[in-house]
Amino acid sequence: MSLWKMAASNFKRSMREYFALIVALAFAVFVFFNFQNMVYSESMKVLQNMRKDYIDTVIEAASIVFGIFVFFFIWYATNVFLNQRKKEIGIYTFLGLDNMKIGKLYAIEATCIALASVGLGIVTGIGFSKLFQMAVLKLSDISVNVEFSFSIPAILITAGLFFLFFGIMIGKGYVSIVRSSVRELLFSAREAEMKREHPFVKGGKIVLGVGILGSGYFCAMKTGGINSLQYALAAVILVIAGTYFLFSGVIPLLIRRLTKNKHFLYQKQRTLWVNQLSYRIKKNYRTYAMVTILMICSVTVLAMAIAMKSRYENVVHFRQTYTYQINSIDPLNEEEIAEGISQENEIVYDNKIPYLVLDEYGVVPYSAVKEAANRADLAFPYEELKEDEAIQLSHIIFLSLNLTQDESVRIGETQYQILNKDETAYLGTLQEQVDFYMINDTVYDNLKLNNTEWYLYNYKIKDATNAEASRPYLDTLVNEQDGMHRTGYSVALPENKEETWCKIFYALCIFMFATLILASASIIFMKLNNDAWADKEQYETLKKIGIAKTNLAKSIKWEICFAYYCPFVLMVITSWFSVKALGNVMKQNLIFVNIVSTAVIFALFTLICIESVHVFRKKVL
Amino acid sequence: MEKIMEVRNLRKSFGKKEYETLVLKDVSLEISKGDFIAVMGPSGAGKTTLLNLLSTLDKPSSGQLILDGEDITKVDNKRLSAIRRDKIGFIFQDYNLLDGMTLQDNIALPLSLNGVKGKVVLEKVQKMADLFDLNAHLLKYPYQLSGGQKQRGASARALITEPKILFADEPTGALDSKSSKDLLKSFLSANEMGKATILMVTHDAYTASYAKQVYFLADGQIQCRLHQKGSPKEFYEEILNLLASMGGERA
Ligand SMILES: Nc1ncnc2c1ncn2[C@@H]1O[C@H](COP(=O)(O)OP(=O)(O)OP(=O)(O)O)[C@@H](O)[C@H]1O
Ligand SMILES: [Mg+2]
Repeated sequence: MSLWKMAASNFKRSMREYFALIVALAFAVFVFFNFQNMVYSESMKVLQNMRKDYIDTVIEAASIVFGIFVFFFIWYATNVFLNQRKKEIGIYTFLGLDNMKIGKLYAIEATCIALASVGLGIVTGIGFSKLFQMAVLKLSDISVNVEFSFSIPAILITAGLFFLFFGIMIGKGYVSIVRSSVRELLFSAREAEMKREHPFVKGGKIVLGVGILGSGYFCAMKTGGINSLQYALAAVILVIAGTYFLFSGVIPLLIRRLTKNKHFLYQKQRTLWVNQLSYRIKKNYRTYAMVTILMICSVTVLAMAIAMKSRYENVVHFRQTYTYQINSIDPLNEEEIAEGISQENEIVYDNKIPYLVLDEYGVVPYSAVKEAANRADLAFPYEELKEDEAIQLSHIIFLSLNLTQDESVRIGETQYQILNKDETAYLGTLQEQVDFYMINDTVYDNLKLNNTEWYLYNYKIKDATNAEASRPYLDTLVNEQDGMHRTGYSVALPENKEETWCKIFYALCIFMFATLILASASIIFMKLNNDAWADKEQYETLKKIGIAKTNLAKSIKWEICFAYYCPFVLMVITSWFSVKALGNVMKQNLIFVNIVSTAVIFALFTLICIESVHVFRKKVL
Repeated sequence: MEKIMEVRNLRKSFGKKEYETLVLKDVSLEISKGDFIAVMGPSGAGKTTLLNLLSTLDKPSSGQLILDGEDITKVDNKRLSAIRRDKIGFIFQDYNLLDGMTLQDNIALPLSLNGVKGKVVLEKVQKMADLFDLNAHLLKYPYQLSGGQKQRGASARALITEPKILFADEPTGALDSKSSKDLLKSFLSANEMGKATILMVTHDAYTASYAKQVYFLADGQIQCRLHQKGSPKEFYEEILNLLASMGGERA
């Protein structure tokens, strides 16, 4: 039989074995292709007037992050495949094949897997490209008609990248086979598992793991102050490193401890599965660590997406608080203006606020703001202010993390203590142009004696898309003298298209989250399949010596549950800290992200765990 | 002596119709409490097949297997598993200890999985370790043990549940003579303490000479039975003579 025929028949025979592997890889290809397709496809060109360059940058950045992930994923998958095949392949040496031939056999089979998964991924990717684009746009809340289209460059880039990665990994596997002895081929897996560590190294790992993770959590809690960003960054790095050491040090130690406590161990099925865990974790800790880190990243990405989206919405909401703002140095008749606007538009609410401009600051009296807030239905949680107290009326900047807050401010002759920095648009977009402070009424009245008072008239209309209709009327109000506007107005347009990219970013983050979580689950799934394959013989023995199948089935359940839920629990704890850090930086309460992501991942893991138990049992029992 | 197992007209063939090969034609035997039986015979005679049938790992084509008054050819798989757990012990040629746990846990496994209290398990493991001289090795993993130690460990695991009968297929097959001797001595003391009824399959006349009875299997039937009367040394000679006269294998 020729090498090719042998490889082909092997591949066909073990198709079922590799099915999960191929599907997982094809899924990665699928997502990557669709990212690329969004950049190149015709139908997305309609986004041109929405800063498509920005959108493309976002997608490219996402592709790069995803590409790095794919690289590791392929590395992992080919490694699993190599270990699965090594033992079987080793037997061929007894048939007189030399290592080169065996290496070639492996390369051919692995290439078949690469071809199958890239082919499957791209074909389904093309098939679903329209749906994918529609889904992204739907999530982004952008209404654009999507045509079915795919682009050749996207296919070439996807195929090229994946084949490159596969090529590197298959080459690596080939070299590793050619270089290894028969004994290694047959026993390599077993020997790696049994290697012992020096107590010193072990102790070091444990101290490092606990220390690093602890300081990561500490940094996460420190965010919110002036050095938030540095702390958040440090927290992410420390937590990732800590997780790795935790799985290589503390957790194996704890499990080992459990195996030494015989009164604990000799109960239920523990003799079997706790020992099994302790034995396997030396080989599998990288998988667990990788999965945990992947999940922490994906939850953090999700939190970031949601934080940005809600920040974006806050910005829009801030700017939409009033549709028209009339700013005048002369008092105007607000009812008259309301009537004028009402000819074209229905007014939802209106209000007026007087203010003074001192130095570069604006000041407004407490009770006027309170009254205005009341009319516009804005939250106003403040008590009467004392004479030296002020509240800063600020604004939201979409992509700036200005976390500093001054303790006090000097306006004119007086030093005010700043009680709070408020980002509610009491004065509308005027707050974006001037730093405003709300102060005590009497103080304001005194200041008024020596300064010119301005008047701000605000109107919110029902149908913002019809805002332009009242412009002709508003133009009649404008009063310009000696190059200075005594009366002017501004109109808030429905939406700023410039920032649409942010919505696409949000949609992509959601997809990224879904992909990474699915990838985490499938990595555990593959690992367990691999273990099942190695355990078959052992379960055969156990059945022979009369261990009841129900006992074995339970032991398998426990072992598999640990594989899924141990990373899960760590992810829940750690992501609570990382999301909290992010929330501190973004000034948002993101606890619901923790709750939702935990629930989603728990549901998915439980489903896959059940399937995993099922497959494992079918294989070994 | 109390009868443990009764085998009547056991027949086993593999394959179907014209491809059928008859391995066991008609085997009948009785095993009583305290027996120590060795089954010998040329390669391909059906020794492993017979052992698999007796130990319920395989089903006969016809015939009866009565264990403890129960015909085990007529019970379902669940009951078989329970019988294997409660009444039968196994030793395999290649030990089959689990790589992932210490020798102590390997020995404790059958009891602890069957819900025996930890304290009791520990006591019994200790007794078994004494019997098989494994005290120095309890905390080691299988990869740290020699073949002989592994096989004694496997024997301890098989006997810890105090089975009615212990089956062993070529237990010394992979051991050198010193390790074989250690193992057989442990078997003998387990047997003499009245704890174990043993049926083992072996090629080796020396191994067989430790048993109290030796059965010769050939052509699908038990051709001849020897009983030990004098010293082990005389018995060994007797077995060798018989092998020579049957023109079969030599020791
Ligand atoms: N599952 C099977 N299917 C078909 N034939 C089988 C099967 N198992 C055993 N045989 C045949 O039954 C006969 C007896 O095999 P068995 O393994 O019992 O021999 P044995 O006495 O143990 O030999 P050895 O001393 O070499 O181990 C052999 O001819 C073998 O080919
Ligand atoms: Mg045999």
